[in-house]
Amino acid sequence: MQQNDTVLLSVQDLNFKFTLRGQTLHAIRGISLDVYKGESLAIVGESGSGKSVLVKTLMGLNDQNGYIESGKILYNGQDLAAFTDDKQWQAIRGREIAMVLQDPMTSLNPLKTIGWQIKEALELHRNLRGAAADAAVCELLAEVGIPEPQRRAKQYPHEFSGGMRQRAVIAIAMACRPKILICDEPTTALDVTIQAQILGLIKNMQKKYNLTTIYITHDLGVVANVADRIAVMYAGDIVEVGRCAEVFYDPRHPYTWALLSSLPQLGVKGEPLYSLEGTPPNLFHEVHGDAFAPRNPQALKIDFVKRPPMFEVSPTHRARTWLLDPRAPKVEPPEHIRALREKGRALKLTGEGTADA
Amino acid sequence: MLKRVLHALVTLCIVIVIVFVLLRQMPIEGYFNNFDKLSDAQIKVGLQQLGLTDPLPKQVLNYFVQLLHGDLGTSNKYREGYSIAKIIAQKAPVSIQIGLISFAVSLAAGLPLGILMARSTRTRLKVWDKIGTVLIVVVQAVPSAVYHLLIQLYGSELLGVSMLFNTRSAATWILPIFSLSIGNIAYYAMWLRRYMVDEANKDYIRLARAKGVPAARISRNHVFRNAIVPLVQYIPNSILFTLMGSLYVESLYSIPGMGGLLVQVIKLQDNTMVQALVLIYAAVSVLGLLFGDLLMALVDPRISFTAKEGAR
Repeated sequence: MQQNDTVLLSVQDLNFKFTLRGQTLHAIRGISLDVYKGESLAIVGESGSGKSVLVKTLMGLNDQNGYIESGKILYNGQDLAAFTDDKQWQAIRGREIAMVLQDPMTSLNPLKTIGWQIKEALELHRNLRGAAADAAVCELLAEVGIPEPQRRAKQYPHEFSGGMRQRAVIAIAMACRPKILICDEPTTALDVTIQAQILGLIKNMQKKYNLTTIYITHDLGVVANVADRIAVMYAGDIVEVGRCAEVFYDPRHPYTWALLSSLPQLGVKGEPLYSLEGTPPNLFHEVHGDAFAPRNPQALKIDFVKRPPMFEVSPTHRARTWLLDPRAPKVEPPEHIRALREKGRALKLTGEGTADA
Repeated sequence: MLKRVLHALVTLCIVIVIVFVLLRQMPIEGYFNNFDKLSDAQIKVGLQQLGLTDPLPKQVLNYFVQLLHGDLGTSNKYREGYSIAKIIAQKAPVSIQIGLISFAVSLAAGLPLGILMARSTRTRLKVWDKIGTVLIVVVQAVPSAVYHLLIQLYGSELLGVSMLFNTRSAATWILPIFSLSIGNIAYYAMWLRRYMVDEANKDYIRLARAKGVPAARISRNHVFRNAIVPLVQYIPNSILFTLMGSLYVESLYSIPGMGGLLVQVIKLQDNTMVQALVLIYAAVSVLGLLFGDLLMALVDPRISFTAKEGAR
C-alpha cells in the first residue's frame, strides 16, 4: 500500500497518568509514535494495555482524573498536549480528528433522530443551517450506504439495525471531513457478516478523502485486513511497531511472539491452544525494567533491571526489547514464529535478518 | 392509545364499585344527622328515600347514573343537605393554588439543584453535590412533621409573619408553600442528579464530545434532555394531587383546604361524602398515571402506544 512520509501527527515521549483514590496509575508510559498522512495504523494489545487511553488522549477525551504528565502531541504545528480547556479541543474534535466507537447500539442518543445527530456536527463545524444542512445530511447518509436517506434521517436510532447504526456513526464522524479517523474497535459489537461491510466502508472513505485511520482492536484478523502499520501495546507502552508484514512475519518482541502464538490458526491440531501465563503488571506501581519480563520464560537478567530502549530493526520496524542489543545472547523465537518468519522470507515480505534493512 | 384510556376507565369503574359496596357495610347511622332521635319507621322511610333498600346491584347502577349526571350527592353530616360538589368547590381552590405554586417552586428549585449537583460531580471538590446531598438526606431522614413544625416556628419569627394562614395576606402564603415544596425539591434534585450522572457516563455522550460539541450544549441537549424522561412521568400526578391538599401542613397553618376533609368525614361517618371523595381521589390518581404515560410517550420516541412499527 502506498503511503507517503509526511508525519501528520507525532506523539513524543508521552506520559499519561490517572489519580484514583489517592493512588496514581501510570497508563501511558513514555510512548513515541508517528502517524503518517493517509496511512492506516492499527494499535493492538490486550485489555488494559492503554490503547483506548492513548487515542482518547489524542482528542482530549479522557476522564477528568487523568492528566498528561509529560510529552508532546504535535499536530499541524500545535502541541495538543498543552491544551488546557475545551474550547481549544473543539477546534480539533470532529473537525480534525473524529472517532467511531465500539458499540453502535449505545453510541447514538436514543431520543434524537439520526438526522439531528449528524446535523449537530454540521452546524458546529461547517456552519450549515436549515435546508443546506438537511441536504448535507442526506448526502452523508447516502455516502455511507444508507438507502432512502431522506426517510431514514427522520428516524430514531432504535429504528436502525446494528450495522446501519454503525454506518450512521461513521456518517457523523465523516460529517466534518476530518483528517484523522480513530476507530475504537469498530466491529467488535457487530455481526461477523456486517464486520466486513463496515471495514470496507471505512476503507472506501479512507481512499476517497485521503483519510488517515487509526484502528484500535484485539482482532488480529481485522488488523491483517486493514492495517498498513501495526503498533503492539503492552502495559501502557508500545513494545513493537512496524509495517504489517514486518510485525506479522518477523516479530521481534517476546510479547508479540506470544500474541501471535495465541492465534488459533497457528495452533497444531489436537494440541491445546497456546496461552500466555500470568497477568499484565499493575500500573499503580512503577514498572522496573521490561514490563513483560515476569511473564517471559526467556527473560534476560537485564530485563528485570533496566527498561530496554527502542531498537531499530529496519527503518520502519522498531521493538523495545534487549534481545535486539548486539550484546544479547541469541534467543530463538518459538517454533511457529520461526515458521512464520520463513514463510515471510519466502514470500519476500520481509528481509533476511536483523542486519539488513 | 385508545386502549390505554379504556383501561383507565375500567379501573375507575372497578374502584367506584368497590368503594360503594364497602360503604354499604357501614352502619346506617352515617346517612342521618339525628339518628338517635328518629323512630324505626322514620329511618325506614329515610333509607327508602335514599334508595338504600334496593338490591345492591340496582343501587350501584343508580349511583353510576347519578354520577353520569354530574351529581356527587349531598352531605348528611358534615354539612347536612349541602351538595358535595359545592363543598369541594369551596375548599379545593385554596389547596390547588397553594399546591400549584409549591409544585412550580419545587421544579424551579429542584431541577437546577439537580443539574448543579450532577455537574459538580465532575469537579474536584464536588461542593454543590455535597451541599445538595446534605439537604436531601436531612429532608428525607427527618420526619416531615418535625421540619414542618420547625419551619412554622422559626420561619414566622424570621419573616415576622403570622403563624396562621390568611388568604388575603400574601406573606402568610410563604411558609406553607415552602413547607410543601421542600420535600419535592429534594426529590427532584435527587433523581435528576442521579439520572444525569447515569446519562453522562453513556457512550453517546462520549461520541457527542468526540464530535466537538461544547460541554454546555452536551449538558443541555443530551444529558438533561435524556435524564428528564423518567421524571416527566410523575409531573401530571404531582399537579393533580394538589387537589387533595396536604393534611399536615393545612392543619398546621389552619388553611381552609381539602387536606383534612377525608379524615374528617370518615370520623363523622358521612358515608355519601366519603364515597364522593374517595371517588375523586381515585379518579385523580388514574388520570395522573394516564397523563404521565402520555407525556412520557411524547418525550421519548421509543415509547409508543400504537402497534409496533418500523424496522427492527
